[in-house]
Amino acid sequence: MRCKILGVMALALLAGCATPPPPAPGSAASKVVAMGDLKNIEIGPMRIARENGFMTVNVSLHNTSSYNKTMYYRFAWLGNDGFPVAEPEAWKSLTLYGTQSSFLPAIAPVPKASDFRLEVKTP
Amino acid sequence: MFSIRLSLIAAVALLATGCANNSPTLGSKNISYGDTKAVETVTNEFGSTDLQMIAESMTRSLAQSGTLQGRPVVQVYDVKNKTSEYIDTREITTSIKTQLMKSGTARFASDNTDMQSQVDQLKLQNQSGLYKKSTVSKTGNMVAAKYRLEGSISSIVKRSSDYKDVFYKFSLQLIDVESGIAEWMDEKEIRKTTER
Repeated sequence: MRCKILGVMALALLAGCATPPPPAPGSAASKVVAMGDLKNIEIGPMRIARENGFMTVNVSLHNTSSYNKTMYYRFAWLGNDGFPVAEPEAWKSLTLYGTQSSFLPAIAPVPKASDFRLEVKTP
Repeated sequence: MFSIRLSLIAAVALLATGCANNSPTLGSKNISYGDTKAVETVTNEFGSTDLQMIAESMTRSLAQSGTLQGRPVVQVYDVKNKTSEYIDTREITTSIKTQLMKSGTARFASDNTDMQSQVDQLKLQNQSGLYKKSTVSKTGNMVAAKYRLEGSISSIVKRSSDYKDVFYKFSLQLIDVESGIAEWMDEKEIRKTTER
C-alpha cells in the first residue's frame, strides 16, 4: 500500500515538473516572448498606461550576473483582436551592466494598439 | 513481360518527378534575403539599425507628446548632416513622415523637394488649356503648414590603437510657424564602439 502511495506521489511530482503552468493571462510573464533561454536577464513588473491616446509601457529588467550582458529586444503592438496593428519593429540592442536593474520604456506607434508582446533574445 | 516493362517505366517516371526541382528559388546559394529589422553591426558607420531606431524613437515621442492635436499640417525640412560621413538624411525624414502619417497624427505640406513638381502640375492644369475646367485644381488653395519640423545629426569620433568610438546625436524640433516657438523637441543618442 505504502509503495502504491509513493508511486502515485512520484508520478504527480513528475507530471508537475514536466509541464510548468502557463503564465496567467494579462500577467507580465504572458507579455514576454523569450526566443530561447534568457541568460542572466530577469524581466520584472511592467507599467502599462495610456498617455495622449497612445499606449505606453515601462518594463523593469535586472541583470542577475556580475558581468555586463547584452540583450536584443523589440515590441509587437497588438489590437483588440490580438493581431498586430503596425509593421514589425526593428530589433534593438541593450546593454545592462553587471547586477544592474534598469527600465525599458516604449510607446505604441498607433493609438489603436491595446496590447503588446515583448520579444527578447540574449546572444 | 509487358507488366514488368510497365512497372519499370512507372518507377523511372516516379524517380524523375521525385528529383525535379520544386523549390521556388533560382540562382546562387551564396545570395540570400535577410531580415530587414535585424541589428546590423557590420561596421560602426551609420547603418540601417541607426536609421530605424532614430525614426522610431522620434516619431513615437512626437506623436505621443500631444502637440499634434487635430492633425495639423507640417512642413518637413531636410535633416542637417553635421557628421564627417555621408548619410542620406532624406531617408530619415522620409521614415519619420511615413510613420507619423501611419499614426494618423499629422498631415504634410509639400516640402522643398516636392514643391517644384506641385507648382508645375498646378501651372499645367491652369495654364495649358488641356484639361476640362471642372476637373482643374484651382490655384490659391494650397494649405500652409502650421508647424515646421527640422533636425540635425552630429557625431563625435574618437580613435585609439585599440578602439574606435562613434557617438551620434540626432535632434529634432517642431516649431510653430506663426509664433516661431519650438513646441516639441527630442534627441536620440547612439554609441557604437569597435574593439580592434
